[in-house]
Order: sequence, then structure tokens, then C-alpha cells
Amino acid sequence: MQAGRIAVPSIEAGGINGQRSGHFGHCDVFTLVDVEGGEVKQVTTIPNQSHVQGGCMVPVNLLADHQVDALIVGGIGMRPLMGFKQAGIDVYYDVARQEIKPVVEDLIAGKLPLITENQVCGGGSGDCTGH
Amino acid sequence: MLKILLVSPDKGSLSEMASAWAESGDVDLMWAKSGKMALGIASDIAIDLVVTDERLGDMTGLEFAGKLLAVNPMINCASVNHLPPEAFHEASEGLGLLAQLPVHPGKEHAEGLLQRLKYIKNLTAGVKGDIT
Repeated sequence: MQAGRIAVPSIEAGGINGQRSGHFGHCDVFTLVDVEGGEVKQVTTIPNQSHVQGGCMVPVNLLADHQVDALIVGGIGMRPLMGFKQAGIDVYYDVARQEIKPVVEDLIAGKLPLITENQVCGGGSGDCTGH
Repeated sequence: MLKILLVSPDKGSLSEMASAWAESGDVDLMWAKSGKMALGIASDIAIDLVVTDERLGDMTGLEFAGKLLAVNPMINCASVNHLPPEAFHEASEGLGLLAQLPVHPGKEHAEGLLQRLKYIKNLTAGVKGDIT
């Protein structure tokens, strides 16, 4: 990625040296990383909204409102994934690492894969660690 | 005015909910007899909520909810289902359903669902978190 805004669901205060949240809908904050010229230019955070049953589209709208281009998740349901696709936000997948910085660096370097539909939570996919 | 689409081959199974919403005055109700018909309506009209029966003739309510995501993931969906809550959660995980409804849902379910729908629509439309 040469330029754009990356969102990472995070626990507690978030930030580039913070820890990721396992499931985007239940995170405390979203860490937002602005990239210019293939480098991190600015890191900010926004609080997540309250998570209620059926409220999967709330964070989709929140991140779309904040002009996010890419999201890195460790777990996500099909409905919000489809919502992000509709909003034009690319969803990347890394289930292994808890730290924010290395997955952001990998995304910028083009080393992080886009999530596939068989990696979403539910339907017996088995890859979700967020619940 | 909220647009709600009720999907069932048997209108009687959702009639109590429909009556309650009709009385409320702020709901525009539509009906579809099958999942395929409902998907066609959902692709053409901006629906706020779809309520499905457990079986729709051509597909189950949960199968419909999955297909609805491909049509428009922004549409909220609730489904009648007889499964125990934990089994329903497992079966519907990731579909983002607004609620599981009992067989022959009544006025109280209609009111509760409408309240939850309005709450979520407010959350979705409203708050823009502060950047720090």
C-alpha cells in the first residue's frame, strides 16, 4: 500500500504499539494508521460503538465515515464482511499475531492476504478465534 | 416510515406481528410468499427489516438470510426458528440477525423488534467517534 488509511481493531488504548482485538465487533478502539509514500505518517484511534445483536453494520458505517481503505481482522462475520465490501473497504486477514505493528507493516509491504469467504466466522468454518 | 418485508408462504404465522405493526402507524408492510420473491423485492426496494418464517417453501429462513447478504448486507433480518437459543446462535453465526423469533410471534415481539431496529438504525446513522 502506497497511500491510504488502515484500521486495526484493538484492545484498550490501541496505537501502533498496541494489541489487536480478536473480533472487530467487540474491540475497544480502532487504531487508524495513515500511510503516505509507503510509510506510516500518522496514527490515531477512534472508540468502537456499543455492540448489540444485529448491529454488525454500525462499525462498517463508522469506518466508512472515517475514510478507511483497509481493515485487518482476526475474525469477522459474513454480514459485516459483505458490508465492508459494499463500502469499498478491503478486509485483510491475520489470525496469528496479536501485535498491531507487524501486521500493519506486512499490509504496507503487500504481504498480508485478503480474507476469503471460507475464513469468516460461522457456518462451521472453524477459523474464527474471536468468540 | 419504516419498510418491513414479511416472508412466509402462510400469512397466518406472522399475522399477529403484522397487525401490531399496522396499528403502530409508522411501518409500511409488504409481504412475500417465498424466499425468491423476497430477494427480488429486497434488490429493488430499500427495506429496513425482513422478517422470515422458519420455512419459506423454496428455502429456509436461515438460507434466505445468507442469500440476503449478497443482495444487500445493510438490510436487517429477523427469523422465526424453533431451535434453542444456543443452537440458533451457532446456526446463524455471522449472518448478523437482529433476532430469533418464536413460532407465531405476537405483539410483544413486534414491539421489541421495532424498538431494537430503531436503536440500531440510530447507532448506524448517528455517532461518529472522536479521533484521538
